[in-house]
Parts: sequence; C-alpha cells; structure tokens
Amino acid sequence: MKAKTWKISVFRFDPLKDTEHRFVKYTIPRSGVRTVLDALIYIRDHEDDTLAFRASCRQGRCGSCAVHCNGRYGLACEMPLKSGKNTIRPLAQLPVIRDLVVDMEPFWEKYESIKPYLVRSSKTAGRNYRNRRELEKKIDCILCGACFSACLMTGKNPAFHGPAAYVAVNRFLHDDSDAITGQRLAMVKGENGVFRCHNMFNCNEACPKNVEPAENILEIKKNID
Amino acid sequence: MKAFDIVIVGAGMAGMRAAIGAVRRDLRVAVISKVHPLRSPGLSAEEGLNAVLHDGRKASGKDPAVPALMDLHIKDARDCGYQFSDDAPLETMVQRAPGVVRELERWGCPFSLEKDGQYALRRTGAVSRPRNLHVSDKTGHAVLYTLYEQCVRLRQNKPDKLRFFEEWLVLKLLVSGNAAAGVIAMQMDSGKTEVFQAKSIIWASGGSGRVYGSTSNALTSTGLGLAVPVSAGVTLQDMEFVQFGPTQLPGSHIQITEAALAEGALLLNRKGERFLASYNDSREEMELSPRDVICRNIYREILAGRGIDASCVHLDMRTLGRRKIRAILPVTRELCRKHAGADPASQLIPVRPGQNYMIGGIHTNEKAESDINGLFAAGECANPGVHGANACEGDPLTEALVFAEIAADSASKYAVQHRNRKHGSETLFRNALEEEENKLTHMLTVKGEVRTAELRNKMQELMDRHAGVFRDGMGLVEAAKGIRELKKTLAEDLHTDGKERRANPGLTEALELKGSLEIADIIVQAALSRNESIGVHFRNDFPAPKGRRRHSLIKVRKTKIRIRYTGVKSRHKWLKEIAPGKLAEKL
Ligand SMILES: Cc1cc2nc3c(=O)[nH]c(=O)nc-3n(C[C@H](O)[C@H](O)[C@H](O)COP(=O)(O)OP(=O)(O)OC[C@H]3O[C@@H](n4cnc5c(N)ncnc54)[C@H](O)[C@@H]3O)c2cc1C
Ligand code: SF4
Ligand code: FES
Repeated sequence: MKAKTWKISVFRFDPLKDTEHRFVKYTIPRSGVRTVLDALIYIRDHEDDTLAFRASCRQGRCGSCAVHCNGRYGLACEMPLKSGKNTIRPLAQLPVIRDLVVDMEPFWEKYESIKPYLVRSSKTAGRNYRNRRELEKKIDCILCGACFSACLMTGKNPAFHGPAAYVAVNRFLHDDSDAITGQRLAMVKGENGVFRCHNMFNCNEACPKNVEPAENILEIKKNID
Repeated sequence: MKAFDIVIVGAGMAGMRAAIGAVRRDLRVAVISKVHPLRSPGLSAEEGLNAVLHDGRKASGKDPAVPALMDLHIKDARDCGYQFSDDAPLETMVQRAPGVVRELERWGCPFSLEKDGQYALRRTGAVSRPRNLHVSDKTGHAVLYTLYEQCVRLRQNKPDKLRFFEEWLVLKLLVSGNAAAGVIAMQMDSGKTEVFQAKSIIWASGGSGRVYGSTSNALTSTGLGLAVPVSAGVTLQDMEFVQFGPTQLPGSHIQITEAALAEGALLLNRKGERFLASYNDSREEMELSPRDVICRNIYREILAGRGIDASCVHLDMRTLGRRKIRAILPVTRELCRKHAGADPASQLIPVRPGQNYMIGGIHTNEKAESDINGLFAAGECANPGVHGANACEGDPLTEALVFAEIAADSASKYAVQHRNRKHGSETLFRNALEEEENKLTHMLTVKGEVRTAELRNKMQELMDRHAGVFRDGMGLVEAAKGIRELKKTLAEDLHTDGKERRANPGLTEALELKGSLEIADIIVQAALSRNESIGVHFRNDFPAPKGRRRHSLIKVRKTKIRIRYTGVKSRHKWLKEIAPGKLAEKL
C-alpha cells in the first residue's frame, strides 16, 4: 500500500537569531501535495507560517523557487517529492536571509555586470529568420541561480561571473544585430573570466531548463580563440 | 522618507515599460515591486500580443493596407468585447500597437519570423486576421526580459534617474486633497516601513486572479496591489468582467496556452467528439470561438455528463504533430510533461476552465488618468475600457504596453507641471506611517485561532463556486455573506506563528489575503448588481443582455461598496445580433 504521508526535512535558519542552521522534520499528507513547492506551501499554511521561501509562478517559469532537494538543484515547483525523506536546502554560495530565502544580490550583480542588453548596431540588416530561430533557443535561462550555486568556481573566486552571466553573454554574441561583440569578449576573457571555468559541468546538471551553461561557456571560448 | 518625481508600483510589463518611458523623459523614477522584476507574473504569458504590422507585404506604416487592417483590429476587439469597448482608448491602443512592437524588436526581443523575415503571425480565436506576434510560446518571458534589460541599461547609463526597490510590499497610497502624494511600503526581509513621496504615481500592480482557487495566475497575483488604491478612494470599472481561460490543467490550473487551439488543437468530450459543434454559438468557429463561449460550452458539456472525470474535457494536440509541437510550442510541451505527466504529441490532456485575466480595474481614460489627480494606471490593474465585456486573446499585453507608455507620458507631464507644488505635508506622512505601523502590529498581536490559509481556501471556494463562469443572484448573495464573515474573522481572530515583521511570510500572507478579500467582495457585489448577461459575465437568472450598454463604476467609501453605471462611450450602434467572432461575415 502507498504511504499516505510525505517526510520532509527543511533547512531552517535565522541569521539574526540562530548561531547555526537546523533541519526541521515535518510529516505531511500526500493528498494534494505533489511537488517540493506544494510541500513548502503546506508546511507554511498548516504547520509554521514563519517558514520563508520564494515562489511566484508555480510553473517553472519565473525562477523564484530554486532550491536543493534530495541531492540536486532544481525548481521547487517542478521537483516531485519522493518516498523516504525529502531534504530541502537553500541555494549554496549565497547568504541566507531566512530559511530557504537567500540574498540573490551577488548573483544579480554578476549578471548585470556583463551588460545583459542589446546594443543595437546601426548598420544591421533586417530581421533574419535563421538568426532568429537560433536566438529563440538562446533565451531559455530563467536566472534561477541554480548553476551559480552548483559551480565550484563561483565559490572559490568571487570575481568569476558565473554560468548564468555567461549564458547571457552568449545570447548577445549570437544576436547578429548586437554592436558590442568585441567589448563583450574583452569583458569575459580577463583573468577572472570564462577561462577560469574548468568544465566540471556542475552547472549543466543543476540547470532545470536544460540551458547547458557549460556549452554556452565553450561557445564563448571558441569565439575568443 | 524617500522622494522621487515618479513612483511606479509594480515591475511587470506595464511597470517596466512605464519606467523606461519616464526615465527617457528625464524624470527621477522609483519602481517598487514585491518580487524581483524578472519574477513578475506576466512572464507566464505564452501566446503573444496583437498588432497590425503587415499583410504579407512591407512592414511599414506607409503600407496602404495598414489603416484598413487597423480598422479590422479595432472591429475584432470591439466585437469580441460584445461592443462594450470605449472607442477612444481602443483606437489608441490599436494605432500605437505597431510602435510598441517595433520598439521591443529594437531592444532585442526576438519575435518569431517567417522564412522571408516577416513576423510570424498567429490567428487567434474570434478574430478575422492573423495579428498575434509571439516568441514561440515564450512571449511573456521574452518581452519581460527585454524590458528589464533596457531598464538595466538605463540604470547603468543614468544611475541617478532609475531605482528599483525589489521585495518591497506596497501597503498604502497616500492622497492629499484628491492628489496622489506617495505610497507606504514595507521591505519584506527587514520588515522596515517607509514613505515614498512622489509628484505623480503610476499604478501597475497586475492581476488579482488568486481571489479564485481555479486560476492560472501566479501565487503573487493576490489583489492586494489593487486593494491599496481602492482604499484610497480610486474608482474601479467593470470588476464583474472576469476572463476565464478554457484550457487549464486540473488541480494546478496551470494554463495550456490558447495558442494551442489557435494552432489547431481540438477540444473533445468523453466520447471523443468535438462537442463545440453541438452548440449554436460555437458551431461555426469551433475551437476558434471567443473564450467566454468556449468556457461556457465546456461546462455545459461536463454538466451533461460528457466530461472527463466529471470536471474536464480533453485537449487533443496530437493533430499538430510532434515536430510542430517541439518547434512552436516547446514550453507547452514541457508543462504538459512535467505537470500533467503526459506527452501532448501522443496523449490527450485533460483541461478545464479557470480564471485567467481581470478585465476590470482602475477606471482610466485614454490618457491613463485615474480619478485621483496625479495617479495613473496601466496593465492588468487598470481598465481603460479597451476590452469591453470579453478580452480578445493577445490584446491584454498590447494594452499593458501601450498604456504604460501613455501613463509614463501623462505622469511625466504632471510631475513637471507640479514640480514645485508640495504634495502632502510632513504631518500627513508621519501620521500615515504611524497608522500603518499600528495596523501591522495589531495583525501580529491578535491572539486568534484561525490560520490565514483556512480563510484563503474558504474565499477561493466561494469565488470558484459563485463568481465563476456561471453566476446567479442567490449564489452571489451567499458569496457576499461569506466574504464579509471572512473579513471579520481576519480582523478579529487571526492566528500567526511569528511575532516579528522581519522576513515573516505569515504576515505578508495575511496582508495579501486582506487585499484579496477586498477585491473578492468587489467582484461579487459588481456581479450581483449587473442584472444581465454579457460577455464573460453570465447570470443564469438573467441570461440576456439588457437595453443599454453600461460600464459599472465602483467606489469604496468606509467599507461600503458603491456601484453606479455609465454609458459605453462609443459612436457605433449596439448591434446585439453580431455575436463576436462571426468570421464569415468579417472576411
Ligand atoms: C498564464 C497566463 C497567460 C497569459 N497569456 C497572455 C497572452 O498570451 N497574451 C496576453 O495578451 N495576455 C496574456 N495574459 C495576461 C497578461 O500576461 C497580463 O495581463 C500582463 O502580463 C499583466 O502585466 P502587468 O504588468 O499589468 O502585471 P504583472 O506582470 O502581473 O506585474 C505586476 C507587478 O506588480 C507588483 N506588485 C503587485 N502588487 C504589489 C504590491 N502590493 N506591492 C509591490 N508590488 C506589487 C508585482 O511584484 C509585479 O512586479 C496571460 C496571463 C496568464 C496568467
Ligand atoms: S542557466 Fe539554468 S540554472 Fe543557470 S540561472 Fe539559467 S536557468 Fe537557472
Ligand atoms: S515558482 Fe516560478 S519557477 Fe518555481
């Protein structure tokens, strides 16, 4: 017979009060609860409404809810719970504000530092079908931060831009109407740039949207060679 | 206290587009949002936005066919809205839509193209021509990112002009002598409250779908954003007009985009029949009928016992083929696989109707002005009178973008004109802040028994049951009673676990629910008061339209909801017999 409950263990930490984090266990009904996000909502609604986590779209689009659960990163709203214990942790490498809510500021800072916007060149031709098809596939990153947390280099070297920022760089390198390709490449080839990536592929594994940041980084490197 | 020329509440499409417009006019702008801009609800929009760009010919404003095509866009929207749209704002939207698209294109939004480089246009439900622009089925995502990217660029170039306040919850709109003076917001992680003073304010707080349980809207579309200006006395319009989407997954109510229907997916009953053929109003256009018609007929089919699992019908996308699904509906495919456990290329997907879009909102005119001086509104929280009684798929995004630019223009002019006037006094701000602080303290210290979630669930049940696709007087009265009781319980008997303001979801959930209940109450009262059926508002006890086309105007004074009516501002005669979407006649 299938069990009627899920076992959940959640990382709890209030940096202003606690000296150390702890894991709190909850046993919650299965009915109506399928994903990690369902479980968090259930706990907040019925057990302890101080449990802090982020979520908005609940359909894997907005990138709010990335967490670590059962040995991997993912979006809470997309990860199904499993039998046995489900251990939910916040994203690593980012300071915890409370429980599963981390301060994303370092992540956004890196992203914004690489000029994540089109600087249109005045002489580009009209709209090109082939280029557009390519671009449609280059915009899937939802900036959830999972790759940033999984990457060993972002932890070691705070100046390293991180996989998501490089995905954004690569998106604009692929845009044939962008005018600052040279600048973009110069920005990322420095000593804390793409070449610090040692192809561990942790980012690919962490990414819930199959963006394959590591492949994007390789593509940038090829442009530099 | 923080002071700016313009404060914008909300960082969705409307909020960010307005910010760009205002910064370009060289004003100092603050954008306040309870989520990071890139987490805003609008990014779930998949289908696209409507604009007249070309007719297989040149994409230029000088194309002689363009004015005629614009007339068709206007006519489609008007008919789709059962001719309840006001002429001026609708014409404005249609005329300015191409500009909005070209601008997004210039900023790098990769709209899908045909092989010849022309925009790929989809023909959506109830329209005479294809004019739906899209980025495969990631349109909302692509548009929102494009706008944010431009905001980042502006912020880097003009750091003193644009500031974002993310994860700040706006709680109050301050008005002094019928002029907007500022807002009070709470920083969610620190619990700190602050006054943001402004010469003019643009409201862009988005939808309120979460007053329903069955809704495609994000968890954050609670209605608090709209309840705030309501309690400051702003007038709302047509709140009874709630748009339902026909194809949402049961349980999660994640929406399978109507683009699927537009691309040729079918709706089937238990026997595998295309049941839309057996209803008069959907017989001709079938899956391309207006959304209100499809929603009603799905329910009729379910009530007749021909549904799937007593609450759904089947969406059949197999007809599209695996390749087409992968190429043009990749997100839809992913959603079906992850949330319905089914591959749309080979399996039927059970779907049911649910809330999708609030047509009603802050009553604005074609200049995006509200009836409070210095307060402008755009996006889903506003109602300039474009959609009438039923929104045409793709027009909401267009409306949000066009009116955001208009709001930026109007708000900038207002701010410049009133640059030296004092908006509100120190005492006003101090007292208001103190009052707001007391309210927060009260909420955390009531020693009640009832959890927010219990109240929220009850509200959503009442709304789903009584204020849905079909409504009747008795049900609405019951809902109204229930909601009043829930409001009372929230005020007197609320239980919260945490006692601090800092990073306390219990507190924010309770604040959001308070806003939701206000909006739910208004929707129910407006639905009760409109004794007729028109567009998305269907009353079983009054199943036909009445003699005159009227908008409802709603104002809350000291907890009392007052509703009056005003005529639709249209020079076109009301041709009741022209139901929306009669393609044959239009073409
Ligand atoms: C699933 C789905 C699919 C859709 N598909 C389409 C489509 O294909 N075509 C179309 O035209 N339309 C579509 N729509 C409708 C359209 O997406 C929305 O109407 C539009 O995105 C609204 O944009 P907005 O900027 O007004 O609001 P939103 O994108 O909802 O943004 C609201 C902003 O306000 C902020 N906010 C709200 N309240 C507060 C507060 N109290 N304090 C601080 N900040 C606050 C939020 O943080 C957010 O930044 C769809 C809607 C849904 C849900
Ligand atoms: S690349 Fe993937 S994991 Fe990294 S931020 Fe983007 S979506 Fe998230
Ligand atoms: S809640 Fe939006 S991605 Fe999970």
